[in-house]
Amino acid sequence: MNRASLLTLLACGALAGFILLPLAQAVVLSFTSTLGTPEMPAGALGFHNYVNIFQTPALRASIINSLIYVLLNVAFCLLAALPAAYALARYQFVGDRHFLILLLAFRVTPSVVLSLPIFILFSRAGLVNSPLGIALVHCVFNLPIAIWILESFIAAIPRAYDEMAFIDGHSGPSFFARFLVPAIAPGIAVAAFFCFIFSWVEVVFARILTVTGGKPITMAISALFSFQTDWGLVMAMTVFSMLPGVLMIFLIRNHIARGFVVRT
Amino acid sequence: MKPYRNAAWLLMLPAVAVMGFVAVLPLVAVFNYSFHDIFSLDSASWVGADWYTAIMLSPRFWTSLCRSAAFSALALGVQLPLGIGVALMLRGAGPRVAILMLMCVALPLAVPANMIAGLWLALVRSEGLAGQALAALHFDFDYKFTAAHTWILILLVDTWHWLGLVVVLAYAGLTSIPPAYYQAAAVDGASRVAVFRLIELPMIAGTMWIVLLLRLVDTFMIYTEVMMINAGGPQDATTFLSLDLGEEIKAYSYGTAAARAMVDFLIVLTVVWIFVQLRKSDQSAGTEPI
Repeated sequence: MNRASLLTLLACGALAGFILLPLAQAVVLSFTSTLGTPEMPAGALGFHNYVNIFQTPALRASIINSLIYVLLNVAFCLLAALPAAYALARYQFVGDRHFLILLLAFRVTPSVVLSLPIFILFSRAGLVNSPLGIALVHCVFNLPIAIWILESFIAAIPRAYDEMAFIDGHSGPSFFARFLVPAIAPGIAVAAFFCFIFSWVEVVFARILTVTGGKPITMAISALFSFQTDWGLVMAMTVFSMLPGVLMIFLIRNHIARGFVVRT
Repeated sequence: MKPYRNAAWLLMLPAVAVMGFVAVLPLVAVFNYSFHDIFSLDSASWVGADWYTAIMLSPRFWTSLCRSAAFSALALGVQLPLGIGVALMLRGAGPRVAILMLMCVALPLAVPANMIAGLWLALVRSEGLAGQALAALHFDFDYKFTAAHTWILILLVDTWHWLGLVVVLAYAGLTSIPPAYYQAAAVDGASRVAVFRLIELPMIAGTMWIVLLLRLVDTFMIYTEVMMINAGGPQDATTFLSLDLGEEIKAYSYGTAAARAMVDFLIVLTVVWIFVQLRKSDQSAGTEPI
């Protein structure tokens, strides 16, 4: 082994250490009894924190709530982004550049800026405390990302591919479902991954839109903090909430590096 | 060249409808609130530009603005070079190591946003791993009362959270460079620095612009982590723009909060506009990938 590759190895190790250190401690804590009970004295190791998650109704409900709105959000984003991305990739039209700039502006608008009117608007529309409301509002930052990713994947396919499908008599929904979606499957996976992750971890909108019910995982974790915080349970919930994201990172690992180009 | 067809707007309809409802409509509402004094939503009185004048004359606003700008500069100065450096290293290390490391740096993106700071607080409190290590070194790390330490912790947490995005996108840009470019450089006997400056940097510029913009705006408006770590303290040393806005919303002063939200939005819009202009001149200068 030469010096350069040894240096690379050391640097990779240092970086992995920096990234994994807080996570490693969280995993260790999640298996530790931090408050202590008669059966489990403080410091004892075991799965009890994870068992606790499923025995606490509020935590169980929060997992279901999060799953519902995140999956709804991914569905909304993909369904709305696919035709839009196709239009932007294949045609020029009046205002296409303005639309892209607007998309960029909304992607980077801080959630705090929109939180107040969204709360008022959604409470009038009866969308507070419902997963549907959160699923919709997360489109503000996820729809632009989905459009950018899908657009760059569609643009990479030669136009002749579309024309071949049109000649075969496919158009509209049948073209999208039978030709376009299979051709850009990795792009759909990457878009779904980013929408899933950003919606799953978001807190500002998720907090203001769940006043009395429908609390997501993030809010359920916040509610665990008290005068005497059970850090073991907090960490167990955190680690548990990371599982879907980690699984998705693993599944798309070979496509994640394709990235995306933002058009302006 | 793409054909010109206005009927393509039909395909845009679902996206336009969603963005109109969740983004444009609320923005118009904020704009409207910002000119009113609102006790309750049914009794609002027109106050014109009073709130805006008050904000412009408030020293607190300008200090927060400078603080946010300073934090953005610091965070970008650390994260962009570090992220590009890591990506270059991974490119040299081969695809197997690279994919393993990309998965690793992407992990923090999967942590719930309100636990990002929580994980680090657990690490630096006296029972935590880093807390014990610092105590053993007799280093008095006090993020609650020493402003410099609070800043370092916030910077560390933000870098931990977002480095993955910079690395992934920079690596994506690097892998799209055709091998022929490197071969040509090798034939010319170009140095490593020259290869980076004349081939790699221009080729990843397109991807890095968006990373720059996303990170710039996100650090400028950083909220959740700062709130969790020290709620803007000690003595307002970490009170950034978004924390001021959050306070006004919590105090139910809708009118002022709306005006502040509008000011913050205009700042963001200006940044985006400058970004688009810069990219345009960059593209016409011919540094874009072909």
